[in-house]
Amino acid sequence: MLQPHSLLWHYLWVAPNVLLVVLAFLMRRRGLHREFPAFFCYAIFEAVGGIAIYAIDVSPSISGPVYWWSYFVFLVVEVFVKFIVIGEVFTHLLRQYPPLGRTAKALVSAVGIVLVFAATIVATHANPTTFWLISATRILGRSVSVVQCGLILSLLIFAAHFHLRWDRSVFGIVLGLGIVAGVYVAYWALMTEWLFGQRTYLLDFLNMATYHLCVLIWFYYLLVPQKSATTSAAPLPENNLDIWNRELERLLQ
Amino acid sequence: MNLAIVLVIAAVLALSIILRLAVTQSLQAKRSANLAGAIRPIDIEAFRNLINPAEDEYLRRRLPPAQFRLVRRERLRAMAVYAQAAGRNAAVLVRVGEAALASGDPRVAEAAHQLVSDALLLRRNTTVALARIYLALAWPNSRFAAVRVVDRYEQVSGTAMLLGRLQNPAVPVRLSALS
Repeated sequence: MLQPHSLLWHYLWVAPNVLLVVLAFLMRRRGLHREFPAFFCYAIFEAVGGIAIYAIDVSPSISGPVYWWSYFVFLVVEVFVKFIVIGEVFTHLLRQYPPLGRTAKALVSAVGIVLVFAATIVATHANPTTFWLISATRILGRSVSVVQCGLILSLLIFAAHFHLRWDRSVFGIVLGLGIVAGVYVAYWALMTEWLFGQRTYLLDFLNMATYHLCVLIWFYYLLVPQKSATTSAAPLPENNLDIWNRELERLLQ
Repeated sequence: MNLAIVLVIAAVLALSIILRLAVTQSLQAKRSANLAGAIRPIDIEAFRNLINPAEDEYLRRRLPPAQFRLVRRERLRAMAVYAQAAGRNAAVLVRVGEAALASGDPRVAEAAHQLVSDALLLRRNTTVALARIYLALAWPNSRFAAVRVVDRYEQVSGTAMLLGRLQNPAVPVRLSALS
């Protein structure tokens, strides 16, 4: 079952892409494509690109180098699209909190510089393979996943530190992207070093299963309506207000 | 090989942080009751004395350098405790304001919005102040002020009072204490 070109392997490669097409369709029907244009484009790009790469992989008439070139081009475009989606998430989160705009920009700049520096170091440490394009793909994947994972992590920590309230959909997008980015870091690190040897396909299964899970997370957060407001807008209880008042008076003595 | 292991460990750590934050986020949404009870009182005058540069200068002139560094470190540690408490209170006030944002009354919503903004700035200031306090702990002779934290705290307190008054007009609120 856990073999390349097994039924599970085909399912894990194709199903998330088909689900992404359905997600994009439903997003459009509900008008979410106007709210999250970058993520909408990302869903379509991933679905179309993923299916195209799959078709190239399984087609016996297409050679190995053509597959690797296609995959490399797909990866380069995916990098840009993902950065745009991360930017969209930042914008959505900070739109509700203008006082933190400058702090967030400073944080992104600082974290970005550190991550690019880290990615450069990571890129210089790689085991070259016989075909340079495979090495280039792995180095690119590894370096970029480090930057993306770091950016998403810093965004989540920033929001948690300030106790910012996430919009449900935005949180779903960032959670899925974060899990994908985290698993990609490990996946590309192991792939580049060829640590699994001939059993590298096991990593593919882990990677594809994680991606499938994240697509389901996006489905849940974007399409399943939120239950009635969990935080109450009701007035503070009288008793609490008294304590509050007394404490503030103490502060202002 | 070593780099791959480092990256795998980093990825596992990142994933556990992401998942923990996701769980915290969903639990936080469910725990909004009794937020005001989470506020810890702060003696703002004591804090003001601690961060008064004139007091530091006085101690610097009066005490031998080694003893001054010792006293200064003690004062900095006390400052850190106050700043942490102010930061925690700011975090609670962000959530109080967030909960009130959904109010249908535009005056309450506006006060809540103001409270969230002020509390966020206070939280940012306490974070910066804490970083500077820890830096000063390593170098006690440096000069440093946390006046902005105190000013912001007073501003946030005023906004919180206003929000409380708007939400519960029936409860008498002694605003005279604010002037």
